[in-house]
Amino acid sequence: MDVDRFRALYAAEAEEHLQRLSESILALEAGGEEASQALAAAFRAAHTLKGMAASMGYGAVTEQAHALEDRLDAVRAGTLVVDAELVDALLAAADRLQAAALDPSPGRAATAAPVGTAGRDRSGLARPAGVPAVRVRLEEDAPIKAARALLAVAAARAVGGVTGTLPAEFDEAFDGRFLVLLEEDADAEAVTAALRAAGEVASATVERGDAQAAGRARPARATTTQVRVDQRRLDEVAERVAELAVLQGRLAEYAGARDVGAVNGMGDVASRISTVASELQHAVLSMRMVPVADVFQRFPRVVRDAARSLGKDVELVMEGQDIELDRAILDEIVDPVVHLLRNAVDHGLESNEARRAAGKVPRGQIRLAAERERTSVRFTLEDDGGGVRQEAVVARARERGVLPADFEGVLEGDELFRILSHPGFSTATEVTEVSGRGVGLDAVVNRVRALGGAIDMRTRTGQGTAFVMRLPLTLAVAPALQVRVGQEIYAVPLTHVAEAVDFALTSVRVDGTGEWLVLRDEPVRLIRMRAVLGVDPAGGERAAVVAESGERRFALGVDEIVRREQILVKAFHPGVGALPLFSGATLLADGRPALVLDPLSVS
Amino acid sequence: MARTVLICDDALFMRTMLGEILKQAGFEVVGEAQTGAEAVEQYRELKPDLVTMDIVMPDMGGIDAVRAIVKEFPKARILMCSAMGQQALVIEAIQAGARDFVVKPFQPSRVLEAVQRVLG
Repeated sequence: MDVDRFRALYAAEAEEHLQRLSESILALEAGGEEASQALAAAFRAAHTLKGMAASMGYGAVTEQAHALEDRLDAVRAGTLVVDAELVDALLAAADRLQAAALDPSPGRAATAAPVGTAGRDRSGLARPAGVPAVRVRLEEDAPIKAARALLAVAAARAVGGVTGTLPAEFDEAFDGRFLVLLEEDADAEAVTAALRAAGEVASATVERGDAQAAGRARPARATTTQVRVDQRRLDEVAERVAELAVLQGRLAEYAGARDVGAVNGMGDVASRISTVASELQHAVLSMRMVPVADVFQRFPRVVRDAARSLGKDVELVMEGQDIELDRAILDEIVDPVVHLLRNAVDHGLESNEARRAAGKVPRGQIRLAAERERTSVRFTLEDDGGGVRQEAVVARARERGVLPADFEGVLEGDELFRILSHPGFSTATEVTEVSGRGVGLDAVVNRVRALGGAIDMRTRTGQGTAFVMRLPLTLAVAPALQVRVGQEIYAVPLTHVAEAVDFALTSVRVDGTGEWLVLRDEPVRLIRMRAVLGVDPAGGERAAVVAESGERRFALGVDEIVRREQILVKAFHPGVGALPLFSGATLLADGRPALVLDPLSVS
Repeated sequence: MARTVLICDDALFMRTMLGEILKQAGFEVVGEAQTGAEAVEQYRELKPDLVTMDIVMPDMGGIDAVRAIVKEFPKARILMCSAMGQQALVIEAIQAGARDFVVKPFQPSRVLEAVQRVLG
């Protein structure tokens, strides 16, 4: 068995087991049946990791996993009692194991290479691109490895087709790993058999082509994100691509014929290509989708650590973990969610005593839920704490000059949230270690916005605070409405669009506060885009795009809704800076550029 | 018919031990040499199926003996017996034509595996 080949697989799988290990250790605190199941799961995870690390020859990792397994065994036997300190210690051990397991190379190089060549790790011996070779690894305990390699290479040469070895010579520091380079037409299998028969060979495997050589030169785990893809999804892509090739052939044929039949045929092909392309797009996008559970699973630890350091008792409830989202977006929202979770533990939830005094259950609860909406995913992060204290926010805002010094009154709706997310604003009387300083709610808001999402807050005194984030399903392409205002076409991503209406089918009401579109008997504020964009109001808007953000709904009046299409949003170059109304630009199907309107920035 | 072996080592203890291991595996020890020169001489006479060769021996060492034997009998099957720390010498012996090697202290299983490879 050539373990190098399994390194990426090891890393991916080790991560899963490490995650399960941490989760299970956390669950030990729950007590009862859940705790005993968690203990068994933790034990299994540590045990599996130990076996995997041993198979890879990662001695230090194996030992650490073993030590952890021993402690878990002591818990099982009842000689160690589960309390918060023990869980802390187990988590710390799991953290150390994680650090070692995911980057096992330093320990391994130190044990494999003799003094004088410490750190020189030949395990990643790079094969010259395009040259077929047999990768050989001698048994770990084989004596005089250089002599053994010499015998093996002599046996290989006797078969024929061997052009050389890497390293070219086997010196005292030789660690038992080498490549036998072959001619293109060499009988690689016969050479491999000869190498294996030379004795004390742990593994000998044939490598061909370039892909593996490239992968070998730079271990995948350092630079790329691996995504597991369902085989059926890959098959689907392969099928579509094959069909495209066939269609292209037909197109070439028609192009050569140049008669009326050919023109009709080309039309058919074009329409089929468009179908296949959209199926392909769908299939490829689906590969980018991963369940939110992939990142949610880190959060219980975040909440526990924060709660422990503040001496609070907090329960995290997570829902909708099977909802799928683009990996790129999911990775981006981890920081904001972690920030909001810590905030909830630190500022959102009262101390256990205060809760008891207020007649609440002493244990605070945070709920994190993911829900699929039309073309977006909604994350709700809700605590059952004391809610945001208006007076404190107003006082601080006046002090900071965020509100006029003489401001008297009540902050309505999202005004409170706007103030809270003002850069640098903080109402916590002390800056605590948990929430940290500097990065405030404004960073969260900016990150969500940058992803094409939106965030809102609702809070109720004595009952808690909820943040609602709405994010597009994918960053790559988004469905959008093409709208026309004056001569210009704009794209409006559907993420925030509730519906599109024709003025002919609704009525516009004007009162002292502005214009209202009456939708199913409900007034929705109408914002005329001609006015916003500085286009001559004559001619007028005849349709509207109804956008929604949290509880807020408003209508953007446009001349015409042209069509719905998939757009690839390109963010503006950072040098351009933020444009107030637009989130980026895109190319329309006809090749014309169009600005992408951010409806939330219009209101 | 049992396969024949010539054991070359200047230490009686080592010859006896190797002899035991090989006899149990069905070999017939047809000769024992204490020097390199004796090894070459006995090889000519006995043409054994297998030779075990110590590296350090008085009056022509094992490596020179390998060279002399292989020069005259290219198909000779010689197994080098080395002590720890003789890496360079083992490499030299292999370049001289020895077919395999074992490292002292001998483990019977390792010796027999090496013998199998040499004869295979």
